[in-house]
Amino acid sequence: MGDERPTTTLPAVPGLGGLYARAVAPDPAALLARVPVLGGLVGGRDEDRASGIVLPDVTYRVADVVADPARLLAYQRLLGEPADDLLPAGFVHVLAFPVAMAVMVRPDFPLPVAGMVHLANAVRVERPVHVDEHLEVRAWAEDALPHRKGTQVDLVTEVSARTGAGDEREVVWRGVSTYLAKGVGAAPSAVAPEVSDDAAGTSVRSSAERFPTGRWTLDAGIGRRYAAVSGDRNPIHLSGLTAKAFGFPRAIAHGMYTAARALAESDAGRPGADGRGAYDWTVEFAKPVLLPGRVAVAIEPTTSPDAGGRRAFRYAGWDAKSGKEHFTGGVTPR
Amino acid sequence: MPQTAPAHPTTPLPQDAYILGGNRIPFARAGGKYASASNQDMLTAALDGLVARFGLQGERIGEVVAGSVLKHSRDFNLVRECVLGSALSPQTPAYDLQQACATGLEAVIGVSNKIRLGQIESAIAGGTDTISDAPIAVSEGLRHALLNASRAKTVGARLKAFAALRPADVAPATPSTDEPRTGLSMGEHQAITTARWRITREAQDQVAYDSHHNLAAAYEAGFFDDLVTPFKGLTRDQNLRADTSLERLGTLKPVFGKSLETPATMTAGNSTPLTDGASAVLLGSREWAQAHDLPVLARVVDGETAAVDYVHGHEGLLMAPVHAVPRLLGRNGLTLDDIDFFEIHEAFASTVLTTLAAWEDDDYCRTELGLDGALGSVDRARLNVHGSSLAAGHPFAATGGRIVATTAKLVAAKAAETGRTARALVSVCAAGGLGVAAIIESADTEGSTK
Repeated sequence: MGDERPTTTLPAVPGLGGLYARAVAPDPAALLARVPVLGGLVGGRDEDRASGIVLPDVTYRVADVVADPARLLAYQRLLGEPADDLLPAGFVHVLAFPVAMAVMVRPDFPLPVAGMVHLANAVRVERPVHVDEHLEVRAWAEDALPHRKGTQVDLVTEVSARTGAGDEREVVWRGVSTYLAKGVGAAPSAVAPEVSDDAAGTSVRSSAERFPTGRWTLDAGIGRRYAAVSGDRNPIHLSGLTAKAFGFPRAIAHGMYTAARALAESDAGRPGADGRGAYDWTVEFAKPVLLPGRVAVAIEPTTSPDAGGRRAFRYAGWDAKSGKEHFTGGVTPR
Repeated sequence: MPQTAPAHPTTPLPQDAYILGGNRIPFARAGGKYASASNQDMLTAALDGLVARFGLQGERIGEVVAGSVLKHSRDFNLVRECVLGSALSPQTPAYDLQQACATGLEAVIGVSNKIRLGQIESAIAGGTDTISDAPIAVSEGLRHALLNASRAKTVGARLKAFAALRPADVAPATPSTDEPRTGLSMGEHQAITTARWRITREAQDQVAYDSHHNLAAAYEAGFFDDLVTPFKGLTRDQNLRADTSLERLGTLKPVFGKSLETPATMTAGNSTPLTDGASAVLLGSREWAQAHDLPVLARVVDGETAAVDYVHGHEGLLMAPVHAVPRLLGRNGLTLDDIDFFEIHEAFASTVLTTLAAWEDDDYCRTELGLDGALGSVDRARLNVHGSSLAAGHPFAATGGRIVATTAKLVAAKAAETGRTARALVSVCAAGGLGVAAIIESADTEGSTK
């Protein structure tokens, strides 16, 4: 899909800090450009027309991205991943996602980025990625759809690497991050299916009683520590004060931190003994995790081990006191 | 997989390993009488009490194996240091062993095997633990800064290392009983197992009541006179409440499982308290015992260690002994009916009850233990007859030695009374989904039919 759009090549992966600054305080011209155009659409893609929202018709590309081993190790330590030379799927996300973010802060991106809600994330890993690999990242926005509370949009990030010794490339990792812009264009006739309704984790609840398999005790600094290893310094994760500015009572844990930790604590994200390393990793977010906080988690295998010893997992996190769900998801080897 | 081999299938080992006796200090509640005692103080006291009891002054023992779960980094050679500080010969070798709460029982099995192989003729196995004198470490941030500073070659580099410190790094890291992989405490894990097996509050309180009353009765009867040496003003286990009642136990508020969807049933009364203490068990070959004019109490028949997949909730954290026991019994051609005494460590009252419930469950025994059906029922009149950890307390590594010495005396007395072999099954659950079980038989009827 990315190939159908005109491609703009960026010199490097942009820093998220600068991107957030642009998202929070855009220049006036950008604001004007963001006013939704109702009817008389020009240049919009077919699937976008239903919502009356026109997404930038562009694919951003960064040609040569290589992971920093020190940052990888810091990430592995924080998330509980083994300290090896393979990039956890969540690390590829933090490595590549700023390219998608750059699309979102374009002046012609039609939705307000500040205050957007991360609804869901779906990653398809085709094979393990080694720390030394030279990666190409492509990112674009698609599927702006009416949502019960506003407009949702998918940010797609594709990471490719050399296959074998030649110059041929293959997609090794593909992530779709679904965001909600609250209150934007909410006049639903064709409302998008709510992602949380078909959550893989709901079966955890379907048994008579739900028992946790673990508990995460998250201190107030976890948002800052994840920001340090991910480079994602969204103010809502950094401190109570900066989170209040965006309407949260306290700082909230980064959704991708919770999903990546659930991935690390299932064993499905690591290559099997038969060398196969393809899997799907999904998460749907519900209530945010306020910091500091305690999250009851159930991270449970749903299948027997395959030939390589890998099992599919489902996971869920909820507030141990209130029982309110924070997230559900799954890790499914392919 | 269960072993169904007949009894004594293999070539006999050179010799048997016997339990000659034991000694421990009374167990103290955390922050109580032993608040200022170290692991080394307590284990040395337990060893010296054993030395005095069996006349081992200056004796070169084959090996002393013990350990502690909460250990200072300076105690890297804790047991050897205790030996050097004891009345034993300084030529007595020693090593530290650590398998969480199973440390003491694993030490007994380990030294027994060396004796059975003829590598050593005598041994002391035991353990010590203190909550009161627990190590406190610096935070990871401060630790990294200190390590980086120590590697720095210039003042500037050293300052840079400390510049990385954050205010929160100054707070110390205290040891916790949380499972590293799940973040749940042992009590919270057991609360889930308790709920899954639908163990009632009343049943748990009854186990706690029995533990206190049985232990108190054993003290009154003088059973511990040759097993316990007073220490720092304590003559009995500090946690023992001889006068506790079901009514009083029933008034306690639940402490674990409060955030589950099921009612919380585990209280401070039916869970073991954090405790300080140490224990030691003397073992030897029959020849060594005779040469030292020491009677033998019991034979260590066999041991089995199991581990369970608790990380993703498939099995309860403390259920490993449930798996170990059928394998151990099967290998020795025994059933639960062949056991005169069951010593099931009371980490929590519900640990004992879930263990019994699991063995009685046909479906569970088939699917999880690979048996043809339920393992069977444990005669409650044979269970923890002189009390267990709920009453005595549970200084992690010291518990195995307490149970083994008690059990050896029990089977010896039973055999003397009946003229038949008396047999006991010991099981201890441990952190990390570990569990150890052992069979201990009265000594004098060795080789008799079952």
